[in-house]
Amino acid sequence: MTTLFAFYVLIWPALTLGVLALICRAVWRDRRKAREEHRELV
Amino acid sequence: MNSETLYQFSTLTVILLLLAFYGGTYLMTLGIRKKNEDADAYMVSNHRIGFGMGAASMTATWIWAASFYAAATSGYTYGVSGPIHYGLWGALMILFIYPFGRRFRKLAPNAHTLGELIHARHGSSSQLILALSNVLGSVISLMVNFTAAGALVSVLSPLSFQAGVIIAGVGVLFYTLWSGFRASVLTDFAQLVALMAIAIVIIPAVFFAMGGPSELVAGLDNLTAEQANFFSSEAILQQGAPFFVAVLAYAIGNQTISQRLFAVNEDHIKPTFLTATVGYGAIVIGLGMIGLMALTLGVQPLDGNMNNLIPQMVSGYLPPVFIALFFILVIGSLSSTADSDLSALSAIMMADVYGKNIARGKADPKRMLLVGRLTMITATMVGIVFASFSLDILVMLVFVGALWGAIVFPVIASCFWNRVTNAAFTTSVLVAMVLFCAARFELVDLAGPGGLFFELLASIGGGVIIGLMVFGFLGRTAGFIAGTLALIAMLIFATGFLRDYTVLLASLTAYGTSTLVCVVMSLTSRQENFDFATIGDRVGDYDSHEAEPDAGEAIPASAGLAAQR
Repeated sequence: MTTLFAFYVLIWPALTLGVLALICRAVWRDRRKAREEHRELV
Repeated sequence: MNSETLYQFSTLTVILLLLAFYGGTYLMTLGIRKKNEDADAYMVSNHRIGFGMGAASMTATWIWAASFYAAATSGYTYGVSGPIHYGLWGALMILFIYPFGRRFRKLAPNAHTLGELIHARHGSSSQLILALSNVLGSVISLMVNFTAAGALVSVLSPLSFQAGVIIAGVGVLFYTLWSGFRASVLTDFAQLVALMAIAIVIIPAVFFAMGGPSELVAGLDNLTAEQANFFSSEAILQQGAPFFVAVLAYAIGNQTISQRLFAVNEDHIKPTFLTATVGYGAIVIGLGMIGLMALTLGVQPLDGNMNNLIPQMVSGYLPPVFIALFFILVIGSLSSTADSDLSALSAIMMADVYGKNIARGKADPKRMLLVGRLTMITATMVGIVFASFSLDILVMLVFVGALWGAIVFPVIASCFWNRVTNAAFTTSVLVAMVLFCAARFELVDLAGPGGLFFELLASIGGGVIIGLMVFGFLGRTAGFIAGTLALIAMLIFATGFLRDYTVLLASLTAYGTSTLVCVVMSLTSRQENFDFATIGDRVGDYDSHEAEPDAGEAIPASAGLAAQR
């Protein structure tokens, strides 16, 4: 029960961390592609 | 832990925190600022925003200050399943709109607002109904966010509520005014990174500071049977179901979402919205867990105000630096939503009101920009005034919710079914609003046949919601089957029962009525079937643009403007 509740609470910040890493990586790629195409990021 | 007061920052500390936040954000926008901004870019950037920026912006926009407070309140009120019943449905609002979003984008690749698409499909009356619902929604959102800033500043520092409202309003306007949507998207990324990083730290920090999982499990004894049940029917009916009903309505009625649908690279719509769904759900449900932790510990909200739960927990268990982080978390979330609302409002006034109904095909991009910036200034002032005087917006909120529910079917059907007419769209929304009011304010006796009448309409509404959701992902046949099954289930289980839940009854009535009227009027109309291919020609850019490296030749201004009908 204790492990289950620890998982239930801590899975959300863990997921947030995963999404944060994904978004940062994607933005880095967006920026690189925009530079290659000589256009602005936004 | 039942602290009588919250940790207090000095006036200087709070002002420095706000200056650092808004000053830093403003400095970021200087990097993209142009002396002569482009009207199209001011509304939707270049229609080619990448996956990363798009997902960050979508997530940051959808998370507003109320998300944390309401999720924590839900966890505190409904127990174990509470945060899920707030965060999950909010996240699904993003998910369920993307199949329809792809259709909107396919029909009108160069649109700036959903209203432009509806204008090309039907004309002004339908478009203005949609625009009105968007405007009301964004003004309410602005007001709520500024109110949250005032409340936060006043509970954590000696500064007044009004001071917090004004600083937030002016701060957001300051960095959004010149570059519009481009500034909003760029700053959304930075704001999201900050708020995600803070959420990642704060949730486990509070969890372990309060005693960790063993303390949480020990505290489960403090919960009622319903609160301890993950499948609590009370949580589903009171919190989950009304939110579920609103899933499509919030997304269709919100220009901040449509704006991003038209701004991101068309190939990236799906991953952008999927990522935003997971990101939103994770942050909001995670912070909602703090409400559950407070419940298990037997914490009483300060002054009986549920909005104090998270500040209380952070203040009670963590050192001041975490309270400063929490402060930035809330200011970041409310600012990212407020700047998106300002951009949304400016796009509606620029494209839907000026472009389509005042200039009528002769829109001057420079004048459009002026309209957009004046809209932002006016909207900020309105938001500040409404927030400062703590005006009661409940009635406005009720009507906006109903309007959003009423337009869902007509908007979606107009983009897929060539028989829907302008008269059917407009009439169905107006009739739905009238019947919504009759049910919501119990203008007819719901105890007798009147109740049954509304339950039948609401059952149709339930079928429509399920049907549209399934249709979005699995197509027409599956959507029709799912909708029919949902309708039958509703007729069996909801009649004689739903009348006791007037909010739910009225919302579903709005869906059911608008669908029924729209379908009947469209089927009986002798109007020629609409040719969807014409929409793309009728909705275009307002500015002339230099040729993109892979986009062929530049389009002369006259050609761009000629496309605006």
